[in-house]
Amino acid sequence: MSQREGNKVDLQSHSSASSFSHLEAKIRQTHSLARLLTSYAEQLLQEYVQHQGDPFGLPSFSPPGLPVPGLNSPAPTHSGLPTLERLQLDAAALNSLSPLLDTIRHLQADLNPFARRLLRRLEDASHQSRALGSAVEVVLGALGATPGPPGPHPMLPENPGVFLAKLLGYRVCGLYQEWVSCTEGDLGQLLRAGLG
Amino acid sequence: MEVYFYLRLLSKTGENKRMKNSSKFQWLSSVIFLYLVNQAHGQKRGVPHDLKCITHNLKVWDCSWEASSRINHGTTYEICIVNSSYPCIQTEKTHFEIPALSLAEHEIKISSMHVSGNSVTKFILNERSVSLVPATLQIFNLTADFSTSTLYIKWNDNGSVLPRHSNVTWEIVVLYKEDMEVATIATLNTTLIGKDSLHHWSWTSDIPLECTLHYVKIRYYIDELHFSGQKEWSEWSPLRNISGPPIKENYEVFPQDKVVPVGSNMTFCCVVEEPVLTAQFGSERCSLIRLDNKSVAIEINNITVSPSSGTNVVFTTKSNMYGTVVFAGYPPDIPRKLNCETRDLKEITCSWNPGRPTGLVGPRDTNYILYERFSGRNVTYNRDEEHMNENHQLIFQMIAGQEIYNFTLKASNPVGRSEAVILVDVTRKVYPHTPSKLIVSDIDPTAIILHWHLSGNFANITLLCEIEINTAYSGQELRNITVKGLETSSYRVSVDRLMPYTMYTFRIRCSSENFWKWSKWSNEKQYLTMEGVPSKGPDIWREWSADGKSVIIYWKPLSINEANGKILSYDISYWSEEGKQHLKIPDPQHRAKIQLDRNDCIISVVARNSAGSSPPSKITSMEIPNGENLKVEQIVGIGSGMLFHWNYDPNMTCDYVIKWCNSTRSEPCLIDWKKFPANSTGALIEYDNFRSGTRYNFFLYGCKNQKYQLLRSVVGYTEELAPSVAPNFTVEDTSADSILVKWEDIPVEDLRGFLRGYLFYFEKGEKGTSKIQGLESGRSDVKVKNITDITQKTLRIVDLQGKTGYHLLLQAYTDGGIGPGKAMYVVTKENSEGLIIAILIPVAVAVFVGVVTSILCYRKREWIKETFYPDIPNPENSKALQFHKSICEGSSTLKTLEMNPCTPNNVEVVETRSAAPKIEEDTEIKSPVADGPEEGSDAEPENHVVVSYCPPIIEEEIASAGGEEAGGSSQVIYIDIQSMYQPQAKPEEELEKDSVGGAGYKPQMHLPVTSTVENMIAADGLEKAAGYRPQTHVTAWNLDSPDSPRSIDSNSETVSFGSPCSVNSRQFLIPPKDDESPKSSNGGWSFTHFFQNKPND
Repeated sequence: MSQREGNKVDLQSHSSASSFSHLEAKIRQTHSLARLLTSYAEQLLQEYVQHQGDPFGLPSFSPPGLPVPGLNSPAPTHSGLPTLERLQLDAAALNSLSPLLDTIRHLQADLNPFARRLLRRLEDASHQSRALGSAVEVVLGALGATPGPPGPHPMLPENPGVFLAKLLGYRVCGLYQEWVSCTEGDLGQLLRAGLG
Repeated sequence: MEVYFYLRLLSKTGENKRMKNSSKFQWLSSVIFLYLVNQAHGQKRGVPHDLKCITHNLKVWDCSWEASSRINHGTTYEICIVNSSYPCIQTEKTHFEIPALSLAEHEIKISSMHVSGNSVTKFILNERSVSLVPATLQIFNLTADFSTSTLYIKWNDNGSVLPRHSNVTWEIVVLYKEDMEVATIATLNTTLIGKDSLHHWSWTSDIPLECTLHYVKIRYYIDELHFSGQKEWSEWSPLRNISGPPIKENYEVFPQDKVVPVGSNMTFCCVVEEPVLTAQFGSERCSLIRLDNKSVAIEINNITVSPSSGTNVVFTTKSNMYGTVVFAGYPPDIPRKLNCETRDLKEITCSWNPGRPTGLVGPRDTNYILYERFSGRNVTYNRDEEHMNENHQLIFQMIAGQEIYNFTLKASNPVGRSEAVILVDVTRKVYPHTPSKLIVSDIDPTAIILHWHLSGNFANITLLCEIEINTAYSGQELRNITVKGLETSSYRVSVDRLMPYTMYTFRIRCSSENFWKWSKWSNEKQYLTMEGVPSKGPDIWREWSADGKSVIIYWKPLSINEANGKILSYDISYWSEEGKQHLKIPDPQHRAKIQLDRNDCIISVVARNSAGSSPPSKITSMEIPNGENLKVEQIVGIGSGMLFHWNYDPNMTCDYVIKWCNSTRSEPCLIDWKKFPANSTGALIEYDNFRSGTRYNFFLYGCKNQKYQLLRSVVGYTEELAPSVAPNFTVEDTSADSILVKWEDIPVEDLRGFLRGYLFYFEKGEKGTSKIQGLESGRSDVKVKNITDITQKTLRIVDLQGKTGYHLLLQAYTDGGIGPGKAMYVVTKENSEGLIIAILIPVAVAVFVGVVTSILCYRKREWIKETFYPDIPNPENSKALQFHKSICEGSSTLKTLEMNPCTPNNVEVVETRSAAPKIEEDTEIKSPVADGPEEGSDAEPENHVVVSYCPPIIEEEIASAGGEEAGGSSQVIYIDIQSMYQPQAKPEEELEKDSVGGAGYKPQMHLPVTSTVENMIAADGLEKAAGYRPQTHVTAWNLDSPDSPRSIDSNSETVSFGSPCSVNSRQFLIPPKDDESPKSSNGGWSFTHFFQNKPND
């Protein structure tokens, strides 16, 4: 049996009907949360660029993807990975994003102390990222899989310039959106594959 | 100098030769020659020349000369200063140093010693030939502050070796870029102080120092006034460049995160290996300035205030994006409205308004420090993000024993600073906290104690507090009290002069005695004071019942101020036959009925509450009889009350009482009463329940020895209104020319004022067309009578027309207006006598005329017959052929009717045989008309009427209007001529009788025959004649009659009619003679046909 086959999820194999329905409800609930956070993440990114000044808010603005040590965008090969492995990556990324979002919030508190809605969204996003990561881990546990090993703690430069801090914030918000969306897709696929 | 030496030398040696050579030219030539020889010889042999001396410090001269290096090699020189104690110098070099010599000239002898020979050269040297060239400087230190792009240069001025007080000019040059363009040149002036001094200079670059290399060099110039030689700039110092930032940062764009004042000009550069494609400042694209092969820059002028997160400066390369952020803002405004006060004398709160926003937030926001100068302590403003928009304030802990504080509030941000100062005596700036825990306790019915809590240490000051006392009845009262400040926070104060049994609302606020601000009001505290004894007895009055067997005693409830508590009951005592009687009436009742005989007694009333009884109020039961009949007066109120006046009466020792009641109420008459002092002479009665238009009775009593006497009786209104109803009136009698009306009084309650009269309106008109509702005095068709005698109850209206309808209206009026009216419609009776007279007189006249006429006619019957109806009438004299006078009126040409020469064309045989021959004769008459043309009649110019003797009448329906002769078709109706034969000037009945029934001779008129008519008749032929036709004058008829034929010629006054002519042709329309026609025998003519509208009628 290959590794991929070994990670294949078979929700029907769960012993009792009640545990199956409970698992299904959990996955469905987590998927709904991911979908909700996906829309929140889009709003966060829009709110973020509005407060950074031009050219951040311009349609032509496309900064290079700044590297965030310890966290990357979902790899193009992500969709080809087994479901559980994908969910493990999702959970790890979401957990990593939470402190990054906290850092961005602190940076923005200096730059935009009166942008209360942005600051609140960043704070909420940090909590929601951690919550979604935990929920995915719960699903993984329910599926009998252990959460993946914690990756390297993502780091941001200690004293980035203001412009670099803005770029990093933009990058982190983008990463947050990508991973939440990715998680939503993975959970959706899990629902379709397992319940269908 | 060397030339100079030679010239001097030659001048000495050549003095003798000059004596010998007389030619100057020869002498000069010799000198030049010798000089050149000597030069050539000296150089050839290593003789020093071109001696130059400089000095760096004016103490040592450094002299050097030129010598051939070939010859110089191995040459030893001895330099001696002639006539000087300075020792000669042995040297192999071509320069020497000597101490600075005095201002005089000095001879320098340089002896050259060489293997090839010795030579001596002399120079004359003085200070003017020495140049002052300062020693080349070394930059002591060159540093840079990259955050501010500032260069700092330090150097030593070597003042210790230079003359003191010398002025020094420094020139500093900063170069930049690889090709070392001059960035700036600075010149400084200093003065030497006799010792080495370190000078420094700084320069801030327009572009960040990181953008490209910067170099610095310096030189100087000493301006020593006492030095007479030449002064020159020193050599440039060696170039120094700026070493890079102490810590290499991963920035490519400079400056990083700069905070600048609004309006600044800035240069941003990007130092990257790859080429920069674009640069952007915010949303603005900028042109690139290339600094070197790795660095480009942009210049931004007059930067505007940045948004909160700063303005982004972005450089874009093919693969990357580099940027920085600039924050442009304002320096802090001077803090406005700086105010320091204390709320508890423990800490001082200073607040201020920051003024204009700086545009800088977060770490770049303004920092405030409150510095107290006397104590040297300061407090730093801690920004609270949650309350950023609120007023700024700082709290400074008070220092024991210090009352005066000198505060300086310092504001600073990255682009500037400001400050404000305030000197505060805190004891005069006390703004206490809000008093709390307000408690009230009793002292007595009119005093309480107020307790409250006020946090703070006010032991050193006196507090000024304000107590607000509120009652529902007496409103608001403020009392200020002073309280010694306490270290503790509990305060108490007594409040007196309160009313018993009154609900009070208390609250308090405090300040210091040196008033600055009131604290906020404490919460309210309600409190009911204790009850007290009623302060006075009730106001009483008495009325005898109608039967006179009992007295009703009235009293008024005591006011709140007087009752001083809840009145429980009223005690009434009086003397009766049974002795002293007591009654106890519970409170809500304010009257009592006492059975009394007509004996006088004193009635006493006291009010009682839980605290005690009021003083008694007394009144006697009987009145003092009034000696005379009182006349009832009238009065009208003023405003809201009634004003009474009376004369002062010293006999009235108690008081006056005015009692009043509604006049329409039944007895006993009492609404209210009011008492006035004995010395008063007037009173204004104001009563809330007085109503306009209501009649009140007022009675004025005077009090004499506790007994009352009625003085005046008055009826009055507070305000008069118009009557509310119309007077009820009836018509008592009518005649042909008058009406008698009678009315009744209006009830008092409807009168609503004193009746001043009636207005009676009447107008002629038919029933149902009354304008009575809109009666106005100005209308002429409405008559009005103003009845001012209000006792009058009837009115007779005369001079009316008989059998005529009249509208009547009666209104009453008061000073308040005119009331509604009652309307009535009356028809006067017919005037029968006049009617009879009007009938009888015309009848009598007619009878009289008829009798007279009859008599006259009878007496003149012969004449009448001869005149109007002779047996053989003479047409010439026939009156009958004259038009009736009435017909002829208006005609200017009354004429005897001329007979138309219409020859009878027919002889009518009448029944009377005797007339037959005459008719036969008539038939012989030839009518000339028959020969005349038809048009001839129209063209008749004569001014007379021609009545054609033709068959009567005619109705023409002419197709074309307007009497056009050319009308082709015309209908002609022929009427039996016999029916038309009627005599003139007789009643129609008679005429008919004559024409039909008459069988005798028919009178005819002779008509003058004109040629034209004759021709016409001739044309028609004699057989067309229809016998004799009566004719008359034409103008007797109305020519405007639609049926009257007219002459076509409008200019002619001659109108032809009577003949049945066509209006078109004017041709006689008598039909041709037809012997067999039965109509011919009935041919005739009647005037009536002229008056017929249509022949057919």
